[in-house]
Amino acid sequence: MLNFIVRRLLQIPLVMLALSVLIVALTMLLTPAQRAAGYIRSEQQAAQLERIIRDRGLDQPFPVQYGKWLQSTLSGDLGFSKASGQPVLDTIVERLPNTLELTLVTAIPIILIGVWLGTLSALNKDRFIDQVLRVFAVLGYSLPSFVLGIILLAVLYGYLGWLPGAGQLEVINQFAIGDLKRYTGMLGIDALLNGRYDIALDVLRHLIMPALTLIIISSATILKVMRNNMLEALTSDYVRTARAKGLPERVVNLRHARRNALLSVITLGGFLIISLLSGSLITETIFAYPGIGQWVVQSALQLDIPSVLGFALLSALIVVVVSTLTDILYGVVDPRVRFD
Amino acid sequence: MKKFALLSTLLLSGAALAASPKDTLVVQWGADIPTLDPTATYDTASGAIVENIYETLLTYKGSSLRELEPLLATKWTISNGGKTYTFDLRKNVKFHSGNPFTCRDAEYTFERNLVTNSAESGNWFISESLLGTGANANDDKSITWDKIDKAVECNSRGQLVFTLPKVDPAFLAKLAYAGQSIVDSKHAIAIGEWKGTEADWKNWVGKDLQGSNLNKQPSGTGAYRLVRRDANATLLQAFDGYWGKKPAIKNVVIQKVPELAARQQAFLRGDADLIEAGGRANIEEQLKGKPGVVVIDNLPNTTATAIFMNENIKDSSRLGSGKLDGKGIPANFFSDVNVRRCFSYAFNYNQYIQDVQNGKGKQRTMLLPDTFPGYDAKVKTYKYDPAQAKAYCQRAWGGQMWKNGFTLNAAYRAGNVASQTAMEILKKNIEALNPKFRVNLQAKEWSALLNDSKSGKEPMIIIGWAPDYADPDNFMYTFYSSNGYYYPRSNWKDAQVDKWLEQARATTNQATRNRLYSLVGQRAYEQAPFILIPAGIGLTVVRDNLVGVSAQNYNPMISFDDTGTYWKELSKK
Repeated sequence: MLNFIVRRLLQIPLVMLALSVLIVALTMLLTPAQRAAGYIRSEQQAAQLERIIRDRGLDQPFPVQYGKWLQSTLSGDLGFSKASGQPVLDTIVERLPNTLELTLVTAIPIILIGVWLGTLSALNKDRFIDQVLRVFAVLGYSLPSFVLGIILLAVLYGYLGWLPGAGQLEVINQFAIGDLKRYTGMLGIDALLNGRYDIALDVLRHLIMPALTLIIISSATILKVMRNNMLEALTSDYVRTARAKGLPERVVNLRHARRNALLSVITLGGFLIISLLSGSLITETIFAYPGIGQWVVQSALQLDIPSVLGFALLSALIVVVVSTLTDILYGVVDPRVRFD
Repeated sequence: MKKFALLSTLLLSGAALAASPKDTLVVQWGADIPTLDPTATYDTASGAIVENIYETLLTYKGSSLRELEPLLATKWTISNGGKTYTFDLRKNVKFHSGNPFTCRDAEYTFERNLVTNSAESGNWFISESLLGTGANANDDKSITWDKIDKAVECNSRGQLVFTLPKVDPAFLAKLAYAGQSIVDSKHAIAIGEWKGTEADWKNWVGKDLQGSNLNKQPSGTGAYRLVRRDANATLLQAFDGYWGKKPAIKNVVIQKVPELAARQQAFLRGDADLIEAGGRANIEEQLKGKPGVVVIDNLPNTTATAIFMNENIKDSSRLGSGKLDGKGIPANFFSDVNVRRCFSYAFNYNQYIQDVQNGKGKQRTMLLPDTFPGYDAKVKTYKYDPAQAKAYCQRAWGGQMWKNGFTLNAAYRAGNVASQTAMEILKKNIEALNPKFRVNLQAKEWSALLNDSKSGKEPMIIIGWAPDYADPDNFMYTFYSSNGYYYPRSNWKDAQVDKWLEQARATTNQATRNRLYSLVGQRAYEQAPFILIPAGIGLTVVRDNLVGVSAQNYNPMISFDDTGTYWKELSKK
């Protein structure tokens, strides 16, 4: 097991290096003018297009541009993010904990709700509850997150006024957080550690709508997969054998059928966590949640190449780490899968 | 269960806390704020904050674009035939760092702008005034430290003295631009910015300073100081040591909310006092008439937009057959004034005003905002007149154009609905004149449109201009001069117009300049190098408890279409 983990971790730099070559090469498919346009905001600035291309070396050959980027990256400088107005590395360090906090409050409910409802649906196949859950699954599966997000915002904030609107904090607390000692970078958790329960509650209240959006959309996917796997497992030989042995129905369903049905949910859960950690692009944008997703949307819209490259490296790191953890979990759930 | 209910109540209550406090201005923008370093400020979002943290030597008087008044300067004199400007500076002014404001700070500021003059900044126009070129020392080797040093100096009486190589009537207006705000030189040097000496000036030429240390730690003399800037928001507080009247608004919070629907909800609930509201159509449909919402309409608009008819198209691939055979156009298709007049009469100006501007638009006589000095309302304008259009098209190219027809390619910026609509109106009306006329519209990415039109490749484009400073030269020279920025896009050259525009640059006599600009406008009407797109009527939307925003004190050069005034002038009831 240890060897496996070490091997996977050693792969990270190689994967990232290959990815960086690919991404820098892809950006080179854009003309120097297209990339220079990312630095321009007004027609007046367009007068300086050629100077920008020359000053930033955007017309230099690929090896030169890649070499410069690699050199500065290895020295810890990922470049300056136009979209956030600060260095890329600082942006990641500031925003990743926010996204992590959102992931923490959404990932577990998504998986638990998805698995529970999927099991419930399968065990009640074709009954009323199954029909309802299937409608929910289809709705959640097909509803664009920006539509759901805006509906929640309009109803829970705009119409009912039960929840706060976009952002991470009320205005009154914006000034107060400057005094907080930051331990984890996650605002809600840091507020708790500082004994500022009012701020922690404020953060939590702001998390409800983005979290609800993600939970509804993503748990529907897990529900769908879990239901199908469970139905398949329930008709399998080993379940039939277990029933024949006289095991109680609950034990058969949960210990035998569901355990096997969970395997593909683990894979799906891994992808889900990767996508949550890489930033829930649309959800963070709608709710002005200051995470990685919101930043990356702005970066892409502005052709902010240092930011896009920085994000790609971060994503690669997250993919390798989470997929390694997923594989380990696979081994724990399924004794047939073991690592040398 | 009781615990769950309590938690639910806590989480779902307290929304009342959200309303924006009385001493706090809450602003929600969709745009990001690229920089707080004045030298790098060349966009509206940055400028709207920089102008409240920092101060310029002078500013616009009330809502006027024609009158300037002292700010960090107290008065100025112009001598040496309009080439020397001497400024008396305000005493007892402090920067946010606690450093006193001195002439050395002003000198350092302008020298820093001239030294760096990065491609992303707007310092090209101050460099044009002070060094005679918009380039920096990397691009123009004639720029030396000695030239920069002598262009701006402090004299023995502590006055700031600018020495211009030639007269520039727009110079004072240029100084009012937020990018020319005075920075705290001691603080800047202490945090690692340019040292202000010859020793390291070369290292700073052309450097992009958007992410500079001064961007992170600004120190100005303005009424507000930066408290913190993070991914959530930009926070500012009233500066206790401000030399002027103490502002009623103590705190300002700028939140970035990319989604318009979210900003609207916050505004309607009173959680945000000002928002980026998405233009007239959205304001009229979504916000107007709602409780707590005030729409201030009929505000000046300072942009000018035109359809360019390129008289020398430098890309044969855009010409089709390259002949007047119905399948293309010759490279000099628009060099015949009859074609240009035909197109100018074929554009339905009123339809554009109805379709794009919800009926709130105005035809201008010149490519110059009507509030600017030099604007002449008496210059004639084209009206939609299919009969006139037909007559001119029949005359064009000795009748060959009418007989054979043409296929023309026209481009607009992808995603810009107003530009697309304008082009579609023109296409429909031109094609209705003669079945042999064909206009192919192409939506292009901005970078492609900028690059191709700049090199004269595009036969026809629609593009606009927003002012850097409130002087007619910023528009008239840009659009109409053969040395102007837009010349490669139109290739329209008129020796008399060039002469008038150069004369207007060389005198500070406003009456003379007005006359010259009027002549240019009249000549441009006759020659029709552009189709002038009607200008929208400005409007802004504020919460009803916000005091200080009105049509009377609204200046479009301040806060960029938001409040039209500085935050220090605002209060809440």
